[in-house]
Amino acid sequence: MRHKNHKTKILNRILELALTVLIVSLLSFILMRLSPVDPATAYAKRSIGSPTAEQIQSIRVRLGFDKPLYEQYLLWLKNLMHFDLGKSLSNGKPVWDNIALALPKTLLIVFQSAVMQMLLISLIGCIAFMMNKRFMRHLINLICLIGISMPIFYTGIILLDLFAVKWDIVSVSGNTTFVSYLLPAASMCVFGASFYIPLFIERLNKERNEDYVSFLRGNGLNERKLFFKHIFPNAAIRLIPSFFQSIGLMIANATIIEIIFSIPGFGYLIVNAVLNRDAPMIHAIVFFLALFIAIANIVADIINNFLSKEREV
Amino acid sequence: MKVKNQKILLISMPILVICFMFLGYIIAPNDPFKVNLALRFSNTSDHYPFGNDDLGRCIFSRILYGGRTTIYMVLLASILIFILGILIGAITSKVMMKKNIFVEALINAVTAIPPIAYLIIFVASWGSGVKTTLIALVISYILRFVRLARTQINLESEKAYVMCMTSLGASKFRILLIHILPNIISELIHYLCLSCADMILAITAFSFIGLGLGDNVVEWGNMILEARKSIFIKPNLILYPMIAVLLTTVSFNLLGRQVIRK
Repeated sequence: MRHKNHKTKILNRILELALTVLIVSLLSFILMRLSPVDPATAYAKRSIGSPTAEQIQSIRVRLGFDKPLYEQYLLWLKNLMHFDLGKSLSNGKPVWDNIALALPKTLLIVFQSAVMQMLLISLIGCIAFMMNKRFMRHLINLICLIGISMPIFYTGIILLDLFAVKWDIVSVSGNTTFVSYLLPAASMCVFGASFYIPLFIERLNKERNEDYVSFLRGNGLNERKLFFKHIFPNAAIRLIPSFFQSIGLMIANATIIEIIFSIPGFGYLIVNAVLNRDAPMIHAIVFFLALFIAIANIVADIINNFLSKEREV
Repeated sequence: MKVKNQKILLISMPILVICFMFLGYIIAPNDPFKVNLALRFSNTSDHYPFGNDDLGRCIFSRILYGGRTTIYMVLLASILIFILGILIGAITSKVMMKKNIFVEALINAVTAIPPIAYLIIFVASWGSGVKTTLIALVISYILRFVRLARTQINLESEKAYVMCMTSLGASKFRILLIHILPNIISELIHYLCLSCADMILAITAFSFIGLGLGDNVVEWGNMILEARKSIFIKPNLILYPMIAVLLTTVSFNLLGRQVIRK
């Protein structure tokens, strides 16, 4: 019965994912229509220079912007089913190729940043737990308050100007290696780590007062084993679902940080698409952004369900 | 006594900082748009407290005017979010309507995505500007607020005092406004303060990457962007807007923490 319950829960979540992605992609269509700048006019101006009204109209018909909104949307959905997202209006290549080139970069940054955050959270959490001083707790709280109040691009600029410009350790141009993603990942990591460190320390301190800890200590388990085998994993496991949910946020943040480090990822695509009013590109980007964030949420949910099942057993 | 004083200090300081950033433009010594190339990168003087930027404009005045732009938008957006969010949350809550799977799924679906992603979507498909950014801020941040308000109202409505009031014959409207709202308001304001900090970060981030509010608007993110171009000529230029943003967001975050900590 319980298992079925978990399964239906996850099924529900997947249906919700579909709904999320549909609503968000519809939103992008509605917003494009409401936008003061017409994509067909922008495209005509870019390709012809000073177009006449007839030329704009013909381009509009050719690109399909003259059809009613629902028809455009349904057509887009139908094409999506065949993995056809149209051609970019700015560089003429299929949107799919552009996305396939940019997406791995963004995901790699997010992955690196997530790993860094986990390490940093564990490290500082452990240090704070071991020292267990009032002063230390206040200091960490203060630093974390500043950390979550700082725009991610501050850290980005500071790291970029120090490492790439002043000390010339990392090259900024031609960002394709694993190492060159470390700086953007590090600058994203500050925000996430500052958010989770106080939560983690709080959890650790809560675990310290649990009955089983006194019991194990009474049984003669040494402190180090007690901490690394029992307190630490128990505290960490509670944070994991919420941590996975923050991956969605990280994907959104990565788009901003990429622009600063001029990495040709998702963020770069977005800015270019906005500046060029590149409609097919914008719809595709919005779709993928929503999709990945929703998938991250579902993974968080599945882990959460799994953990609660473990706890029941 | 000491704890109480500390609390008063921790609430009043952020409010003062926010008010100063919001209303400081009244005492701005110079016109923030006035270009004076003779004073390019000049240092601190009596007339220009923070010196001048690459076009000889007064940095102090620009920071104060930038604060007005940002905080005006954030406060207006949060007031709208507060009123509309509570309204929608109350209408969709248990008190006003029966359990509706569709509404539930819809709310879960739209809140699955963090507000910053909605902002990116809005800016991407709508372009930017003061008015559009304001609307985008309200819509992006209201979704999770509605969800929070709705959950809180649902939780409260199961408590005994609401049942007592219902059996005494109080109307739904009265229960919601006079009995439930005061009990959930600190949660809501806490969330709102945190979103305000978030909104400021988002506004500055977007204008920093060039999707700003327009050319003729003074704004902190824009100032950081401009200052960064001349970072090797005058490195401390970039610090002023950065510190202004940091102070404001720290204030909002601190305020949020204090509101929830009763």
